[in-house]
Amino acid sequence: MSSNSLLRRRRLVLFLVLCVAALAVLTAQLRTPDQRRIGWAGLAVEVALAPVTAAASHVGSGFAGAWSALHEIGTLRTENARLAAEVAALRQENAGLQPAAQENDRLRALLGFKQQQPFQTVAARVIGRDPSVWFSTVLVDRGTRAGVRRNDAAVTADGLVGHVIEAGPGWSRVLLLLDPRSAVGVVVARSREAGVAEGQSQATLRIQYLARDADVQPGDQIVTSGLGEIYPKNLVVGTVTGVSRSGADMFQEAVVRPSADLDHLEELLIIVRDERPAAQ
Amino acid sequence: MIRVAAYVALAAAAAVLQATWLAGFRPGGAGLDPLLLVIMSVGLLHGPEEGAVVGAGAGLMQDVMNGVPIGLGVVSNLCAGFCAGLGEGRLYLEDVWLPALAAFLLTLVRDAVWVGIGHLVGLVSLAPLADARMIALSACYNGVVAMPVFYWFRRLDRALERASKRAG
Repeated sequence: MSSNSLLRRRRLVLFLVLCVAALAVLTAQLRTPDQRRIGWAGLAVEVALAPVTAAASHVGSGFAGAWSALHEIGTLRTENARLAAEVAALRQENAGLQPAAQENDRLRALLGFKQQQPFQTVAARVIGRDPSVWFSTVLVDRGTRAGVRRNDAAVTADGLVGHVIEAGPGWSRVLLLLDPRSAVGVVVARSREAGVAEGQSQATLRIQYLARDADVQPGDQIVTSGLGEIYPKNLVVGTVTGVSRSGADMFQEAVVRPSADLDHLEELLIIVRDERPAAQ
Repeated sequence: MIRVAAYVALAAAAAVLQATWLAGFRPGGAGLDPLLLVIMSVGLLHGPEEGAVVGAGAGLMQDVMNGVPIGLGVVSNLCAGFCAGLGEGRLYLEDVWLPALAAFLLTLVRDAVWVGIGHLVGLVSLAPLADARMIALSACYNGVVAMPVFYWFRRLDRALERASKRAG
């Protein structure tokens, strides 16, 4: 056998061995609950690279801030005046809302309402993002030191964002609702019809397992059902944009646009469980 | 040894760059992939074995860093590195357009393997037109940036070789 064909065979064997090993690892990963599990070596890589990612993110934000400041320098004066007026209006509005909030609290107490779960939250800044088109995770700058643990829910003021799938000392990885691995138990806020909202690598979620005769309409608000151990009840998930049902199907499906702007996340809140002390 | 350490550092820097600065710059929804350009450069300069090993290692790091199931990036980048390596000794590396064409084709190969295997194991739902548009756009971006990156990588590679010889 010539040395050339030996070389070619060796290359092919190496290629095939690596391919088979990678596929074996991938199929093993898919059997885990989050379809991903990394050991101490993977965690070590993340621990080593998280500060670098955070630093790069900070530098990037600094550059972006300086760039936009240069752009806005011409309009700064008018912007300042407009903002001052806006602040004054918001202060006035805030002063008007405070009595309403107090009244709301009193009525709640009178009606014997209790908050279902006294949430403690940790504010976190997004420092990295999965660059692939098909998966959706973000890296945030808070971890176990701040009380964050795996399976903690993440929200913004607009609605649910996802949940923590990995947590290191100073970082956590949040699986966003849009990721195909994400599935959230939800109900339609108006009719309380239950289903499961699944990510599909697109800008919308798909609610599956809605009963065939379930009362769901475009415009309905979708909230978490509280079933399962991850998401508290009644967190806003999104709004129904479409409902589909073919003649033979046992279930209906609904398409939901998430309330939180998942493409432009910069800060989020992580809901930490009661029994743990929150850092802030 | 110096070369291996430099490749690891370069791959880590590319992965961090991809997860931070470039993650916010995605015209048309598709983005640049500097890690693929590193893998391509190694493959074209050092052959299929080194291309495949560097591709697998870089893919592993990318999977760990990006929160995706481990293995998908490994196998797709491994294929890209191996395919790039098949051009070693056969292609005229001085050609200015070679890196652009190679990056374009390797992006197609890498993303096709990614989507294909992802779909095969039930991780990725296929949307053929949208996927094809995204992959083609990403291939164009990589093709444009590949020319300066490959030129710079060759210079670095020569410098590393000289350093290795001095050290050895």
